[in-house]
Amino acid sequence: MTMRIFLLLGTLIVIVLLPQFLAPFHIRVVQLFFFTAALALAWNVMGGLAGYWSFGHTVFIGMGAFAAAHFVAKLGLPAGPLQMIAGIVFGALFCGIVAAIIAYPILRLRGIYFAIAMLGIGQVAAELANNVGWFQGDVGLFLETALPDGVEPERFFYYVFAGLFLFTWMVSLVVMRSRFGYGLLAIREDEDTAKMLGVPTEQIKAFGFTISAVLVGMLGATYAYSLGYFTASSVFRIDFSLNMIIYCLIGGIGTLAGPVVGAALMLLLTQIILGQLLELHLLATGLVVILIVLTLPNGVMGLVGGEAFRRRFSMRAGGKAR
Amino acid sequence: MRDPHFPDRQAMLIIQTALNGLVLGGVYSLAAVGFSLIFGALGIVNLTHGIFVICGAYAAMVLFHVFGIDPFLATVPVAIAFFFIGYAYQRGLIQVAISRASLVASLLVTFGVALIMRNLLQLVFSPDVRTITPSYSFSSLTFGSLRIDIVRLIAVLVSIVFLLLMALVLSKTAFGRRIRATAQQPLAANLSGVNVPHVLGQTFGLGAAFAAASGAVLGIVQPFSPSSEDFWTLNAFIVVVLGGVGSPSGALLGGILLGLISSFTAQFIGPSYTNAVMFLVLVIMLLIRPQGLLGSAFGESR
Amino acid sequence: MSATPILAGRGITKNFRGLTAIDTVDFELHQGRIYGLIGPNGAGKSTLFNLVTGYYPLSSGEIRFEGKRIDGVPTYRLNQMGIARAFQISKPFPAITVRENVRIGALYGVSGPRDVDAVTEEALALTGLTGIAERMSGGLPVGNLRKLEIARALATRPKVLLADEPCAGLNPTETSDMMECLRSISRRGIVVWLVEHDMRAVVQVCDWIYVLEAGVKIAAGPPQEVIRNPRVIEAYLGTPMTENGEEA
Repeated sequence: MTMRIFLLLGTLIVIVLLPQFLAPFHIRVVQLFFFTAALALAWNVMGGLAGYWSFGHTVFIGMGAFAAAHFVAKLGLPAGPLQMIAGIVFGALFCGIVAAIIAYPILRLRGIYFAIAMLGIGQVAAELANNVGWFQGDVGLFLETALPDGVEPERFFYYVFAGLFLFTWMVSLVVMRSRFGYGLLAIREDEDTAKMLGVPTEQIKAFGFTISAVLVGMLGATYAYSLGYFTASSVFRIDFSLNMIIYCLIGGIGTLAGPVVGAALMLLLTQIILGQLLELHLLATGLVVILIVLTLPNGVMGLVGGEAFRRRFSMRAGGKAR
Repeated sequence: MRDPHFPDRQAMLIIQTALNGLVLGGVYSLAAVGFSLIFGALGIVNLTHGIFVICGAYAAMVLFHVFGIDPFLATVPVAIAFFFIGYAYQRGLIQVAISRASLVASLLVTFGVALIMRNLLQLVFSPDVRTITPSYSFSSLTFGSLRIDIVRLIAVLVSIVFLLLMALVLSKTAFGRRIRATAQQPLAANLSGVNVPHVLGQTFGLGAAFAAASGAVLGIVQPFSPSSEDFWTLNAFIVVVLGGVGSPSGALLGGILLGLISSFTAQFIGPSYTNAVMFLVLVIMLLIRPQGLLGSAFGESR
Repeated sequence: MSATPILAGRGITKNFRGLTAIDTVDFELHQGRIYGLIGPNGAGKSTLFNLVTGYYPLSSGEIRFEGKRIDGVPTYRLNQMGIARAFQISKPFPAITVRENVRIGALYGVSGPRDVDAVTEEALALTGLTGIAERMSGGLPVGNLRKLEIARALATRPKVLLADEPCAGLNPTETSDMMECLRSISRRGIVVWLVEHDMRAVVQVCDWIYVLEAGVKIAAGPPQEVIRNPRVIEAYLGTPMTENGEEA
């Protein structure tokens, strides 16, 4: 137990001090890591634990961003920490409400049908945000951040995303240890049998989906703040949806560490190693995905975990193709 | 004063839009039938499908520019080549991934290959949008005030010929019977002396062949680029969800519905809303009848 | 049998596309007993269990649990009320351990306060799975899968346990272990209703047997009576049986 506390404290100290030693570009890479790792963790709640693979989770990034921007604009809140908190909280809540509404119909679909339906919802939302004048998705929206004196934006958002990452991590940890988390696991393993053990599958799925959406919405609204100015195409991005899945798979789906490890590895590869070779990003990502599937079907964490870990959190246990 | 013999402009517009939709739908059907067969018979969601289509288009483009082969004639060599490519791909990579991990793994492998191929196509052909323009590209037939491009007319006829061909292969030939038997009861098929892995590879090859052939046809009708591959994969999925899995008739029905939806949306709501409406229809269909209007050609065993 | 039955069905009927799978079947389960449900293949035994556990809706008839109507109640609610089921085809949660499988039953199941760890361990111990609790349930041999089905259902703390062929695929020793296990479950005040093909086991363990043939209840009564019933012999057994349930 004390070991864990030391580890946690050590991590916190590293996170706090790290920007002192990094160039602005690398601070931005680490900030991107916190953002995408948190997204992957949020996706993992439904995708990893319950086996419901959403191919369209970016819908909540976009919705969170648009909800936050319109909310603070409509209320005419002046830029500042309170406005930012209000915007992010509203973005998160809005996503939660939308998720809770669509949860029951959409979660009746299983496997690839659920995945594609989510992709479809993401596309519809993106197209509407882009084409319906009221949303201003084509001309773009502003979200101004009042930076504290003497703090550069990359440093500020580094700490903001670090905080949100830790928050998402804690939520995931609590979910995985809870009765609810076991319910999600039972759903992933066999939904019909879960019902016979008294697991209220419909409610649990809806709740898991809503938690996941709230977390992604929160991250999306914050992302919009970090951009300052955004359009529909900068927040509704299919590559966000895909990265959430890929990071989980590479690290180890259904685990706490997996999504984080996956995000770190892929960012290291694409941002640092291939940083100069932008035109090879897709190729590299594709190769890594294939190699992981063929050689480490349990993700990187499957290498370090024991047999129990490997079986529990493997792709074999993941979503069903149909 | 109104001329009583002249039909109402609005009515003519609707007919013209329907005609455009039918033509588009015919091509969509062909573009989707390979995906549908692979999904229905093998249970594999082939995310490389759009790549096959686009590769077919690039292959036809090269054949046209280098050898002067008409793109419609190019469908035949392109289909034959992709049959073998598809066969090798299924047995060499997809089947390996399935046996090592699961059916889900095959989804990821096809996704990874799609990323790699897209990148390679960008490197070889540049990310620019291309079209294939044979000499007859700009001629069209007119019936009163209705107009239809010759290429589109030929494209839809070729599509229907290909769909009929697949229907015949599946229903009348011994090869088709083996495909159906393997899709429905792989174990029983194996016991009856069917070389199941071989047939699975052949089925995948057939799907790839049709996808690539459709690409050759599409290249004349629509502009294409490496990044339009995911459009064709999604399109195929929507067609399958609308029509039904695994059969040429399901693909035809779904394709035509999708074509009509696209053309009517573009005409009467606005061209920028076609994607939104297409995906809306997809989501609604999934919620109401996920097995498609015609259901699965291979029963509910999977 | 004067007290309110714990579980009772009256006029239960199920049609599948015009085919009557279950035809006006009545049954009553009372506290403290072990019941059997027998019949030839395709007689509708599993269908009846599926109806009782809410997997299919009834075409007509009614089911009561402790006097309250329960037809139309969703499956998970039925389990929370106290009806548990072990499936004929073992459905373990394959990618988690045996203990975690059972633990999910203990975490959910009948509502109310309980010590999750204690319930889990007790169910494991009762079925003899404690020794392999850390194994993944995916690769278990059939004998242990059967035990796991029972353990997991038991961990939901039911009042009634429907066991669908718990001995299918077991050897004679394992079968008698399973029967002993069901007896001890019954001694804990849980009503057991058992589908089983092994007539000897059924006759030895059950207090009351229902016989289905082609969806119709053709007999019901104590085992000794049922195995002498000419209709049962004709429909199901083919040959008369001794008092021990062995074919004469």
